[in-house]
Amino acid sequence: MKENMTAVQNAVSDYIPVETDFKWKNNADEINIDENFAAQSFWKDVILRFFRKISAVVGLFLIIIITVFAIIGPDMNEFTYSTQYLDQKNFAPRIASLERFGIFDGTESMKTTTGSAQVNYYEQKGLDDLYYWFGSDNFGRDIWTRVWSGARVSLIIAVAAALIDMVIGMSYGLISGYFGGKTDMVMQRFLEIANGIPRLVIVTLLLLVLEPGMLTIIFALMLTEWVGMSRIARAEMLKLKEQEFVLASRTLGAGSFFIIFKEVLPNIIGPIITQVMFSIPTAIFTEAFLSFVGLGIPVPQCSLGSLISEGFNSFTTHPYQIIPPIVVMALLMLSFNLVADGLREALDPKLKEM
Amino acid sequence: MKKAKAVLAVLMASTMLLGLTGCGSDAADAGATGSAAGSESAGGSAAAGGSDLNIMLETPVESLDPQQATDGTSFEVIADFTDGLMQMDADGQAVNALAESYELSEDGLTYTFHIRQDAVWSNGTPVTAADFVFAWQRAVDPAVASEYAYMLSDIGQVKNAAEIIAGEMDKSELGVTAVDDKTLQVELNVPVSYFLSLMYFPTFYPVNEEFFNTCADTFGTSPETTLSNGAFVLDSYEPATTTFHLSKNESYYDAARVQLLGLNYQVIQDSQQALMSYQTGALDTTLVNGEQVDQVKDDPEFMTIGAGYLWYVSPNMAAVPELANLNIRMALTMAIDRQAITTDVLKDGSTPTYTAVPIEFAAGPDGSDFSGDQTKFSTVCADDATKAADYWSKGLSELGITELTLDMVVDADDAPQKVAQVLKEQWETTLPGLTVNLTVEPKKQRVEDMQSGNFQLGLTRWGPDYADPMTYLGMWITDNSNNYGLWSNAEYDAIIDECTTGDLCTDAEGRWARLYDAEQIVMDEAVIFPLYTQCNAEMLSSKVTGIEFHPVALNRVYKNAVKAE
Amino acid sequence: MGKYTLKRIVTALFTLLAILLVLFILMHLMPGSPFNDEKLNADQREALYVKYGLDQPVVVQFIKYVGNMLKGDLGVSYNISKNTPISQLIRTRLPISIQIGGYAVLLGAVAGLLLGLIAALKHNTIWDSLATVISVIGVSVPSYVFALALSYNFGFKLGWFPLLFSPNDIFKSSVLPSISLSMFTMASIARFTRSEMLEVLGSDYMLLAESKGISGAALIFRHALRNALIPIITVLAPLIVDLMTGSLVVEKIFAIPGVGSLLVNAIQSNDYNVVIALSFIYSAMYILIMLVVDILYGVIDPRIRLAKKGD
Repeated sequence: MKENMTAVQNAVSDYIPVETDFKWKNNADEINIDENFAAQSFWKDVILRFFRKISAVVGLFLIIIITVFAIIGPDMNEFTYSTQYLDQKNFAPRIASLERFGIFDGTESMKTTTGSAQVNYYEQKGLDDLYYWFGSDNFGRDIWTRVWSGARVSLIIAVAAALIDMVIGMSYGLISGYFGGKTDMVMQRFLEIANGIPRLVIVTLLLLVLEPGMLTIIFALMLTEWVGMSRIARAEMLKLKEQEFVLASRTLGAGSFFIIFKEVLPNIIGPIITQVMFSIPTAIFTEAFLSFVGLGIPVPQCSLGSLISEGFNSFTTHPYQIIPPIVVMALLMLSFNLVADGLREALDPKLKEM
Repeated sequence: MKKAKAVLAVLMASTMLLGLTGCGSDAADAGATGSAAGSESAGGSAAAGGSDLNIMLETPVESLDPQQATDGTSFEVIADFTDGLMQMDADGQAVNALAESYELSEDGLTYTFHIRQDAVWSNGTPVTAADFVFAWQRAVDPAVASEYAYMLSDIGQVKNAAEIIAGEMDKSELGVTAVDDKTLQVELNVPVSYFLSLMYFPTFYPVNEEFFNTCADTFGTSPETTLSNGAFVLDSYEPATTTFHLSKNESYYDAARVQLLGLNYQVIQDSQQALMSYQTGALDTTLVNGEQVDQVKDDPEFMTIGAGYLWYVSPNMAAVPELANLNIRMALTMAIDRQAITTDVLKDGSTPTYTAVPIEFAAGPDGSDFSGDQTKFSTVCADDATKAADYWSKGLSELGITELTLDMVVDADDAPQKVAQVLKEQWETTLPGLTVNLTVEPKKQRVEDMQSGNFQLGLTRWGPDYADPMTYLGMWITDNSNNYGLWSNAEYDAIIDECTTGDLCTDAEGRWARLYDAEQIVMDEAVIFPLYTQCNAEMLSSKVTGIEFHPVALNRVYKNAVKAE
Repeated sequence: MGKYTLKRIVTALFTLLAILLVLFILMHLMPGSPFNDEKLNADQREALYVKYGLDQPVVVQFIKYVGNMLKGDLGVSYNISKNTPISQLIRTRLPISIQIGGYAVLLGAVAGLLLGLIAALKHNTIWDSLATVISVIGVSVPSYVFALALSYNFGFKLGWFPLLFSPNDIFKSSVLPSISLSMFTMASIARFTRSEMLEVLGSDYMLLAESKGISGAALIFRHALRNALIPIITVLAPLIVDLMTGSLVVEKIFAIPGVGSLLVNAIQSNDYNVVIALSFIYSAMYILIMLVVDILYGVIDPRIRLAKKGD
């Protein structure tokens, strides 16, 4: 900084700048327009900015739609997530209104080692009035119903785990980073011990000891996932705590916790939200991995993750079975990301003009 | 624009996946030209007059030490390069291998085996009777702690084996002696009708002491630390590896009959990859999983092979008062639709089983299958929902309850989880007021829970150790460690006793008849709910003939296999 | 700085010892035993416990274990590969996992950085949306689905790459596994780079740098990226450890003899020695990488180094 100053001073002594040396950084016209905003509260401002961003609104809308389907979807037809019709298994998707266009008419092309064949089980079995919108799985269960009840389970697990992680991990990281020194040393060594042990070892042990179920899974995820968040929070804190505004605040007599949560936190909300958005799929996948090794949501209940692992087994045989959970998952991720972006920009005062 | 973003994401996600559909027909062509790099044998010695057989394994080998191995995969590979006194023929009967001939004493208690003069280890030393003595003593040595030691004691009834395992005698007291270099004498406690068929079980295979001592702790962990006396020689191997190779053993006494140049093993745990590899020609044989059967069932190379395992549900009669009620148990076993489980869910050729001994693994004195008649116990074990409901309401009223919740422990593997979900659904639909909760656990944990009596219903399986119904019926005697339900019946115990160590040991027909009586008691009392006899769905290249498949001990034998060019 | 590094290394060693102890205790809390086979009876199980010294008190076992470990002896496997020294198992498998994981990290980090940079620099354009879509797919499709899709299309149909891992052609047969493993890393790094870069680009010092006439590559790489790197490295570090210590599913699909599947099998069959040894290696790598990251922070951002000195 100091060197630059002297450089500038030296330049000043040698050369007298003229007006053409300067130009407006990008929006020269707009910057001259005076705009007066009525003073309003921070949150009102945030909401206003959030809704001005179309992508964020689209994301929010998608989340709401998926949530609504997760609530009512399983009851939209006569099937339940666990009822099996073993004589109606692996039926391809069939939707009444689209049937006549030749799509979703229950026909699938079966690839066999001796060539591929067009099959339509609905016709073969004479079940003209039967419609599995997303098809049926290898137990003859309705995939539509299972996808939405899976989405319900996954949303609950993911959101609960992510929120708990955020609170625990963020506080831990901020405190550790702010105080530094011995506090940081001890807290970081504890974190290393907790995180140095592979997650799978801890989670497996926990699930063997506790009753398997949604609460246990949330608890297990909570125990292992907060570390990532705390690391981000600490890194951000290390970056910010030497900056001038913190010093200013301290000079004005602010307490440590005031500085941590009121001064620094609002400045790092961007990366934190991005991390939360990523801990949601991590939570969903950790749960899926647990289902994969047999410790996830107890069968026949399902989650998006366990549906993907189930569909995976029929990937080369009946690919339509894995598509609905993956698409729902992708949409969910996309919309969480859009909302996160919107929130980040709305919350971050520095990005106001962008 | 932002909407386009969302739509695009969905499209991309689905095209990625849909990339799979609509391209099946050229799969076979791709196979011909496709890369076979994955299969390139370590030996790579595809010279004239034969070739390598490319074999898929589902799990890695656990151990190549014949006295330490416990799983089917390890047994299969050990048997590729080691012969026992006897070997299995194509029908699963014991035929002479390292033993040229044998004699049985009048009282049925002493076997004398004469070992072939031309039997040599791959390092040139001859196979001697001392090799067997050394190996068998290892098997019962408490310091070695072989998991299959009971093959010599409880099952083989070799003299003093039980005492040595318990630490009461020194291993040198085992009832097996080398009379001379090529003569081995075995003493038994009681006559054992199936003793010869134990001789092809790897626990009884010989180990050369001198060689063993040179490798000490590393025995069986590399080609250098294994010694072959069988049809093939190991030439590349590492513990728990995913690929390894064996070549033909030129010094094998029966080398003239071995036509393959070698065996190329590939461990593939994902069945879809395995089938693709098979289609590219990288594998000559592979397992097919239930879902894939739809894809291959019209293929002439598709086949199903009996695996010998009996799957059953074990009710805990000691700990759950409701399950102590016979009507409740009858209702549960009758409510199962075994046919639906095998044809609609497993699809791998597994056969519905209504007897306590699985189908097609034990042939009687007259050569007929012990469990050939599956309707024998149809009054007490059948797929009969109506009867089940009757028993159920009777049982409930005896107990004075209207609702019942049961837990079932299940392995975290694919097939048991599938079967358990169907069982739950079948039970809950057929038996009003019943709720079944599934507890899915890793297998070790499930076995521990069942052994310690910490279960209500348990889905489990049993694989035969030798080709005799006793391997199954012996489980239900009082205090057997696999009698998880702690069932006890004095009459049953007496029959089993009579057939193992009592008068019937030497009377094959009489013993067979009494075993049926025993099975009748187990079925009448619904001690277990048999489900199905496991089969494996496999693809076997039409170029390959002569692989011998067995449900017991050695699942696949390649000695006589031929692969056409 | 040297003193600080030394202090960190010494504490790291103590942390490792603490982790080892915790692992030991965890293993003994684990229900079940390595010898829960339905074919085993109580006497034989007893004999096996004596053979492997599992009948002794945990403290004795721990001290013995640490003693042996210092001699390079990690014990033997109880059941996934009976009686094989674990050092032998790891010696052949760890390099494979590290190699494939290494490719994946490299690929994921580079592709992720580029994607994130593009998205940030072309904020709110079609490029930004495209980068978002790619990273969303990267996080929402599990690696095993990628693995199978890649293997079906490029291995089976086109025949460009081997379907299965082959020790004779390690590079070619590592391509598909590495790509499928790198997807998640790529997506996370892309998202973080984007969000960090946006923040940095909007900051005052960038305005200053720009007004000083710095532009183009120098502006982005020397000024913007450098400041965005700290959080990115923070995210990347644990991913590196995860990738290098193997992934169960991808190893399973491509038949890779790595350590990921070994750990899962070992946990499920209670093979204590294998679990402890692999977890320990994981911990050691983790702590090492954290150490490197901490030191890197100082290199990237001089203010952190100064702060540390002050302590």
